[in-house]
Amino acid sequence: MTKDSEQPRPSPGSWVLVVIAWALVGIPLAWGVSKTLQTAVRLFR
Amino acid sequence: MSSGLLSKERIIAGPGFNRWLVPPAALAIHLSIGMAYGLSVFWLPLSHAIGMTAPAPGDWKVSTLGWTFSLGIVFLGLSAAVFGRWLERTGPRKAGVVAAFCWGGGFLVGALGVHLHSIWLLYFGIGIIGGCGLGLGYISPVSTLIRWFPDRRGMATGMAIMGFGGGAMIGSPLANLLMNHYKTATSVGVQETFVTLGAIYFVAMLAGAFGYRLPSPGWQPVGWTPPPAVASGMITARQVHVDQAWRTPQFWLLWTVLCMNVSAGIGVINMASPMLQEVFGGKLIGGVGALRDLADSDKVQVATIGAGFAALLSLFNIAGRIFWASLSDLLGRKRTYFIFFALGTVLYAAAPSAGRAGTIPLFVAIFCVILTMYGGGFATIPAYLADLFGTQHVGAIHGRLLTAWSVAGVLGPVVVNYLRDYQLGRGVPAADAYSTTMYILAALLVVGFWANLMVRPVADRHFMTEAQLAYEQRQAHEAGAAK
Repeated sequence: MTKDSEQPRPSPGSWVLVVIAWALVGIPLAWGVSKTLQTAVRLFR
Repeated sequence: MSSGLLSKERIIAGPGFNRWLVPPAALAIHLSIGMAYGLSVFWLPLSHAIGMTAPAPGDWKVSTLGWTFSLGIVFLGLSAAVFGRWLERTGPRKAGVVAAFCWGGGFLVGALGVHLHSIWLLYFGIGIIGGCGLGLGYISPVSTLIRWFPDRRGMATGMAIMGFGGGAMIGSPLANLLMNHYKTATSVGVQETFVTLGAIYFVAMLAGAFGYRLPSPGWQPVGWTPPPAVASGMITARQVHVDQAWRTPQFWLLWTVLCMNVSAGIGVINMASPMLQEVFGGKLIGGVGALRDLADSDKVQVATIGAGFAALLSLFNIAGRIFWASLSDLLGRKRTYFIFFALGTVLYAAAPSAGRAGTIPLFVAIFCVILTMYGGGFATIPAYLADLFGTQHVGAIHGRLLTAWSVAGVLGPVVVNYLRDYQLGRGVPAADAYSTTMYILAALLVVGFWANLMVRPVADRHFMTEAQLAYEQRQAHEAGAAK
């Protein structure tokens, strides 16, 4: 088994990819949630 | 496309790979297949595909079209059970690609079914081919995520399974936009929408599948050390073979846990909105009187509020998936399900009283909490399985456990619909008929409560020996781990 001390940390550049990847799934999901919220608000009017 | 490109060896992550890239890949697949819950958006337009403005002779009934979803859920469970072992051998990328062909291709076959006006082709395309895509897509990221996040198994699988709950939130409004765009004097626009959605889902799922990476054998997060194995602990460091897992009482106890939680949840989802409307009637719009006594314009207003309630519940459903699954990393899985069943039983039993008391906010709050636990039950089960049976075959074991979902997909609605018809037939007022149903659903949760309480660590004899594990790892192309 690979030892803990041998595990290289993710490079700083990889976090840019992480942000892009999450945006690609997060933006459509946020759009869907906002559409659902618009419908849900009717309950409180 | 060569098989090499899809093979497990090609997707072993290099040093320094960022594990947070894997959950979005899983979400791309789960958000796509989650549209299964939004298929009902097509049934009304399809019910007058010939008549255009109103149903004409030869038009399909909404109840006939609804079978497409039921078939999809049945084939989700079956394909997950049958192909789970194959997935563990060939890896998540190949499974994800096959799922993309099935789900995207299922929409194309469904479009042909609409074009030819063949209900059987629609069933075959979206129900059967698409259902197989649902099953493969659903389980494809499970074991991969658990291996990348050994420190946060619940949160990792919760993120993906949250996507399945959220897919319809994107797909339904998108489908409405597309149908309005494609609608003409001679077409309701469903056929063209199926083709467009099929293409979108195919591309999104392929992107997800090609985003999958597996950790190299022995990989573990920086700064994390596995907790010491405790002989009597609920988290094992050993491995149970998928063909052995279903011979253990733990598998069937968890099968019962999932089946009861989902049956009760599906039952509630089916009746929550009509229950709100019939129990509170005119009170929902600041007036008085039962729903049946309201003017037509008031009924429309009440129905709009009912739709808002259903939307609110779907939000709590997906929020519960990530919330409870993450919390289970801190509380432990057994305690988390203990809360689901204990709190759930109380809330299911209390809902009719909140209705009789006329307190709308309390009634709404009860259902919102119930829905978080319905979603949480789905999202926490893979981590529960990994804790008890190990991670080697957890995807395949999870696949077999999903047959509980197929059963619950029939059991929940049958309990609700049969009981309601029976009571209405005996002259029980519509608003009161829900109370008995809620008590029966609470009884299902009591069964789940006992099943969860009886879960103990898996007996030693069920675990693989070192030699068996080495063989399985070689079979799964993990030769490095077997050394």
